[in-house]
Formats: sequence, structure tokens, C-alpha cells
Amino acid sequence: MATSRIARPLARRLNARHVLSTQATPLRAFSYALPARSEQPPRTTHFGFETVPEDVKQSRVASVFSSVATSYDTMNDLMSLGIHRLWKDHFVRALDPGINPLIATPGAPPLSILDVAGGTGDIAFRLLEHAGRVHGDNTARVMVADINPDMLAEGRRRAAGTPYLSQGRLEFVEANAEVLSMVPDASVDIYTVAFGIRNFTNIRKALAEAHRILKPGGVFACLEFSKVGNPVLDAVYKRWSFGAIPLIGQVVAGDRKSYQYLVESIERFPSQTEFAGMIKEGGFLLPEGGGWEDLSMGIACVHKGIKPVEEKVRAEEPVKAEKPIYIRPSNPAQIPY
Amino acid sequence: MPPRLLRLSLHFLSARPAARLTRTTPHYPPRPIPTSTSSPRAYHAYDRPTPPPYPPTETAILTAALGRVPAHGFSKTALALGARDAGYLPVSTNLFPAGEMELVKFWCTKARLGLGGTVEKEGLPEGGVRGRVKELVRRRLRMNVEGGVVGRWGEAIALMAHPTYAPTALAELSRLADEILFLAGDASLDSAWYAKRAALAGVYAAAETFQTQDTSPGCVDTERFARERLGDVESLGKAFGDVGEWVEFTVHGVLNGLRSKGVRL
Repeated sequence: MATSRIARPLARRLNARHVLSTQATPLRAFSYALPARSEQPPRTTHFGFETVPEDVKQSRVASVFSSVATSYDTMNDLMSLGIHRLWKDHFVRALDPGINPLIATPGAPPLSILDVAGGTGDIAFRLLEHAGRVHGDNTARVMVADINPDMLAEGRRRAAGTPYLSQGRLEFVEANAEVLSMVPDASVDIYTVAFGIRNFTNIRKALAEAHRILKPGGVFACLEFSKVGNPVLDAVYKRWSFGAIPLIGQVVAGDRKSYQYLVESIERFPSQTEFAGMIKEGGFLLPEGGGWEDLSMGIACVHKGIKPVEEKVRAEEPVKAEKPIYIRPSNPAQIPY
Repeated sequence: MPPRLLRLSLHFLSARPAARLTRTTPHYPPRPIPTSTSSPRAYHAYDRPTPPPYPPTETAILTAALGRVPAHGFSKTALALGARDAGYLPVSTNLFPAGEMELVKFWCTKARLGLGGTVEKEGLPEGGVRGRVKELVRRRLRMNVEGGVVGRWGEAIALMAHPTYAPTALAELSRLADEILFLAGDASLDSAWYAKRAALAGVYAAAETFQTQDTSPGCVDTERFARERLGDVESLGKAFGDVGEWVEFTVHGVLNGLRSKGVRL
């Protein structure tokens, strides 16, 4: 039973590939002189284990999150046994947002944070609370951007119970992480994305956009499911995620397909090393130790990158070609050793 | 362990012929030293510059943060202010997952590498590894005073004693002991290698702890303390060596006595 459940997505993937390959070379009748070459195969991306055209993924992710929005918190608690709260707390504590007013530069703009894919406000509330409680910073501002209006509605509903909305420190915006045109260049101190980046259609494009809007020295911080290093734990975890999570989804939220997508998308997300490499390629500096920190043995993982400050001195320095270490003298008498 | 080996291993800083400190200069115009320091060579070579321990951005932030240590201590505040001084944002300190411990580590690394610099600039006294070790320990302790961190070093020791950071701190301490013995020209390759480093590390850690409470001008008391403890280690090593020699002699005597009585041994 369980094996068939695990094998099913695989079979589906094979099916999807098969369908795609037959579409790529359309049948043609003898009356055609040339093959139908004008139609480019659509650019594809992953949707769980399925391969779908890029423009389809966005709407399908949207439908997933629309359907889970109301039961999002309950489901997170059930699926992660409550551990997602610890991960989020740790993520925010390690990020340490907030500027103590005692050491703040007078007249400097308040700390500006953009929380992408944070519709329900989970991370945003924690960020603001940390800034106030730890640093006494009561001016930090968070903009929550999410592509999904249902998730944003959920966040707005919950924000009504906090003081931040009335203070004008919290803002909810519907936006695609790949096109954050409402945010000017170099204007954000911290860019956070928690359990969202694996749903992006084009992660590299989103990273480039993050690089654009961050101030030099600003931090890109991402909390996401990742790969478990320990094979024994990995086997248990896989069994749990493919066996239990869609079932919980079916029973509690009445929606199996969405949760099947969630676990498949976790499986498809790149490993720690690969994703850190993508962040580095995006032009970020990685912190000490490879730029990531595993949580719960790698079930979740915090990735960070810092946008470098362009230094004039370093830019002016001519790039020196790698010199050969030792050139053998042509005169044998000069050979030293 | 045979007594002879025991004596060797415990004879800390024994009066073996001091290895030549002067590094063997190549008898040919030295090869061009590669200017790029990016190559991750894991070995040490005399005629190659050691690659800097931190990348440029980290170095800039941490150097600026060290300037804030006398006022703000080894703290997140010093780090945040340092980041700002270097043209970064206070949140850029996310570059250092270890937080303030990175600042402590940076200071230790900087001072350790600085030790080699002082040797090249000022040279070292003649006369034995022991004397040079004492001089190098004195210079390293003096760096804490001159760097302005001595008033805050208690905080650093507290951080280094934290279970999360203790392995890093111990690794750094052993690197320092190794560096001091290397610069002093110690070239032992036997089991005493470990004993010497362990003893020196112990003395140095004790001296730094003493230094946090030292109120004498320029921490001269700490220097005296370190000198005396190193002297203790020497006499201890000598005592162990003497005891070893005595044990060896006695055992031989007993064995020979037994043999003379016809016991087959």
C-alpha cells in the first residue's frame, strides 16, 4: 500500500514525460512539406513531480494556497508536529532584526524588511516583535508580499489583533516575487522568505530581484525545507511526508492533492549545497560555514546571503593575471637547485 | 611507556640543540611570489605568503568592530557598529553566524599572525628555545594590552568557555601554542611535540586568565606570572625526567639483581 503510494508520483512523472515527448515531435501527414517547426516547446518547470509549462505553475500554486489558506496554521502544526514554530522562532532570532535607537544613526530611515511569500504574517509578526523586544526598535517596518490574495486576507485578519497595522509598520501587498516593481532599488535591509521559495516558478529570477531591491550590506534570508543528511532519519522522514502528510491533508483540510503537491515540491527543491551555490551566483556573499544552517538535521534549512558593498578601491585595482609560479630559466647554468 | 620515552615526552623545553631560527634563504633570486592569495593551499611554505584568514569584507567589518571593543566589549553592539563603520548595515552582521565569538576569534587570529610579524621586525633573543618561548608569550600578552582588549578580555574568556564555542577556542589556543613553538625554532618530531604544546597552551591560558584581573601598569604582573609558570613547567619537566631516570635505573638494578639470583628474564 505504502510502496504503491510512493511509486505513484514516480509513475505520474514518467507519464508526464511521455506525454511531453509525444508533443515535442508532432505527427505529420504526408501532405506537409516541412515539420511543424514554428511552435517552440513551452519553457517548463516543476510542479511537484510533474513537469508543467512555466505559465501554468503560477496558477496551480495559487490554487493550492487558496485552498489551504484557512487551515494553514492547523495543518502546519499537524504536519511538522509543531516544530515549524521553533524553526520560525530560530530563523528570526538568528536573523536578529532591529536597530537599537541608542546606536542608530540620527536621521537614518527605519529598518525596512520585505517578507516575501509571507501572506499569513507568521514571520512578519515575529520580526516586529523581536525588533521591539530585543532591540527596543519600535520603528522597523515590514512589507508582506504574497502572490495569493487568500493568504494575504488571512494575514490581514490576524494582523488586526496586533498593534503593528495601526502604527503603519505593517503592510500587505499582492506581488509576484519575480517582479517586485513596487519596491525601489537598494531600499530594503532584510529580505526574508520562509517556506515559499520552492513554489517560485523561477528561483534565479527571484534571487536577482532580491539582489536589486536590497541595500548594499542587506541580508537575504530564506527558511526552506531541505535535504536530510542522515539516511536513517531520511527514510523515516520520507515515509512520514509521503505517507502521513497527504492523509492529514485529506482528513483535516479535505484536500489531498494540495498536500501531495507540498511534499513533492519539498522533494524537488535543490539540496543545501546547490541552493547556496545559486545564492552565490546571484551575487551574494555567503556567511561563514557555507552560508546555511540545518534545522532538525536538515529537514529545514536557513540560507543567508549578504549583498556586498561595491568598494571603489577594489574596483580600481587591476585584475592581475595568474603568474606562473616558476619559470625555468633558459640558461642551464642558472638553474638554482 | 618506556621510561626513556617518558622522560623525553615530559622534558618540556629540554635543552636539546636549538633549531636554527633563521629560515633557510634560497640561494637563488627567490621565485616570483604569486600575488593572488586566493589559492586554498593547506600547507605552510616559507617562501609563500600565508593566505589571509578572512575574506576582505569580513576583515573590514571585524577590524572596524575591534576598534569598538574597548567601549562596547565583545558584543553584538560592537559588531553592528563595526559593520556600520565599514560601510555596511548593522544587519550585515548576519555574515557571522557565531556573532561576537567571531570577533574573539578574529582578534586571536590577528594577534597570532602578528606574532610572526614581530619576529620578522624585531627578531628574537639568542639562547635557546626556552628563552624565546618566554619572550614570545610576553609579546603575545602585551598585544592584548596594546590592542586595548585587555579590559574586555574577561568577556572573551566567558564566550570561549561557552560549550558551543569551546572547541573553536581550544583549536585557536593550540594553534597559538604551535605558532609560538614554531617561531621559537622548536623542531622536535617525537612524542614531546604534544606535551610541549599542551604545557605551553595551559600556561598561556592561565596567564590570560590572570591578565583579566591584573591591575599593574602595562600588565607587568602577568608577564612575571607567565615567566614563572613557564619556569615551573621546565622544572616539572626536569623533575619528571629525573624521576624517570631514577625509575629506569632502579628497574634495571632490580632486574639485574634477579638475574644474578638465577631468575630467567
